[in-house]
Amino acid sequence: MFVKRSFIEKSLIDLLAFLKAGLYADEYALAQGLMQSLDPRVKTITTVLCIVLVLLAKNIVVIFCLYLFCIFLAFFSKIRLGFFLKRCWIFVPFFSLLIALPAIFSQISPGVSLFTFKVAQTTFVVTRQGLSNAGLFILRVTTSVSFVILLSLTTRHSELLKVLRLTGIPQVFILVLGMGYRYIYLFVEIVEHTYAAIKSRVGFLRYERDGRQIVAWNIAALWVRAFKLNQDVYLAMLSRGYQGEGLAWNDFKMRARDWVWLVGVILLGAVTTLCFGKRMWII
Amino acid sequence: MFWKEDVDNLIFSLKNVNFSYLGRFPALADITMDIRAGERIAIIGANGSGKSTLLQMLDGLIFADSGEFNFSGTKLNEKKFYDVKFAKEFRKRVGFVFQNPEVQLFCPCVKEDILFGPLQLGLEKNEVNKRLEKLVALLDLGSLLSRAPHQLSIGEKRKVTIASTLIINPEILILDEPTVGLDPLTTRKIIDLLISEGLAGKTVIVSTHDLHIVEEFADLVYILNQEKRVASFGATSVILGNMQLLQDNNLVHIHSHKHKDEVHLHPHLHSEHHV
Repeated sequence: MFVKRSFIEKSLIDLLAFLKAGLYADEYALAQGLMQSLDPRVKTITTVLCIVLVLLAKNIVVIFCLYLFCIFLAFFSKIRLGFFLKRCWIFVPFFSLLIALPAIFSQISPGVSLFTFKVAQTTFVVTRQGLSNAGLFILRVTTSVSFVILLSLTTRHSELLKVLRLTGIPQVFILVLGMGYRYIYLFVEIVEHTYAAIKSRVGFLRYERDGRQIVAWNIAALWVRAFKLNQDVYLAMLSRGYQGEGLAWNDFKMRARDWVWLVGVILLGAVTTLCFGKRMWII
Repeated sequence: MFWKEDVDNLIFSLKNVNFSYLGRFPALADITMDIRAGERIAIIGANGSGKSTLLQMLDGLIFADSGEFNFSGTKLNEKKFYDVKFAKEFRKRVGFVFQNPEVQLFCPCVKEDILFGPLQLGLEKNEVNKRLEKLVALLDLGSLLSRAPHQLSIGEKRKVTIASTLIINPEILILDEPTVGLDPLTTRKIIDLLISEGLAGKTVIVSTHDLHIVEEFADLVYILNQEKRVASFGATSVILGNMQLLQDNNLVHIHSHKHKDEVHLHPHLHSEHHV
């Protein structure tokens, strides 16, 4: 018999599915592609360089070329383009579309009128300058987000944390971040199993008060477990010689292809600047 | 040298040691035991008898409320571990494998977890790399090194926790129920590893419910009872030969089954890990 899912049940299932999809997706980081073959430090530095180029460029053609470059990299890193574009564009409405929307109107961006419409006796004029500014903004955000997603998809999260360790951030912060990241998996599993245990006994998560009570109890139980785990993990760290200072084991190695890539991206930035001159940069 | 050389090779010496959690929940009562270098010791007892607490105390993670606890002739207490040099030397000599691998695997990937100990203890990098290579071959960890702990099976997690302790190359190896929840083949591999570590001259202390491990590997057995006391100790053959003692401490149970039409009763020991 079909049982309609309650709001709580649906929220739990969707939240867990989202977390798992995000956390467990390292299939692309394991693929034998262009970005995966690079040293994580070089990959991170060149990604930051590309984002700086995107942020400083004011010419929409330059930004569009960089966006195409990012898609080209994704393709040669064996990432399905449909998946990659969906991943990138899902964030755009949240971060830029809603912000950019008011900018297309003459009230914010005065200029050449393209078309006019009325809502509740208020006239809205869409201007060419407004559309251009909004387009530039959205493309800039999309390209920056795409580079970051490309980096996170093609690099193991543990390697990204190791790169962070080399940037001078206090080691203890990175250690805590890494442990937090590691134990999210465990807690996602615990929540999932707890949910299955409840479902096996009551059939489905109840609506309203009972459902909220079950969720509240489980949040409390999870907190107690986390507290106990925290104590035990600290003992395990002490047992292996931890003295309050997290130390990193740096086993990264620069190879010829990493140097080529690093120099190549720096040259790309230089050539772009030379080609577009002053018209390229915001400042 | 932080500790005295003992003519009897005495490593751990506990005299009338008591410990309770939060000062209210007794976990060890009047424990007296001597552990010498090179001994292979099994600590057995039913659930809740204080085995894990005792092992944590031997690893210098918790300290006695009362009684005397010495390590190589040096009195061990919390203050002693404020001395960083002493703490490092102790951790190099004593390695501990926790019962729950989730506790011990706290780094984002397996290789980092294995290298955590040597890094904290300041071991030399080339030496650590050599040990890592050896352990990878011994425990067949090659394919696991770059994986995250959540991607491992329970048996793989257990192997990684053992590797993360063995890489320190401790003289004294303490393992808390190392075979619990494992399949027979992995259990067998871990028993073989314990036997080889024992034969290599290490002091190995294992807590377990599995009397077959005890039979194969231990020279000496301590039984802890529900009162958190040492119920008995002695040579393995003597302890395991005393069926009444094992029954009294919930370590064997009476099992009945049929041979043709005749119902047959006998004390039962599980032997599923034998392959």
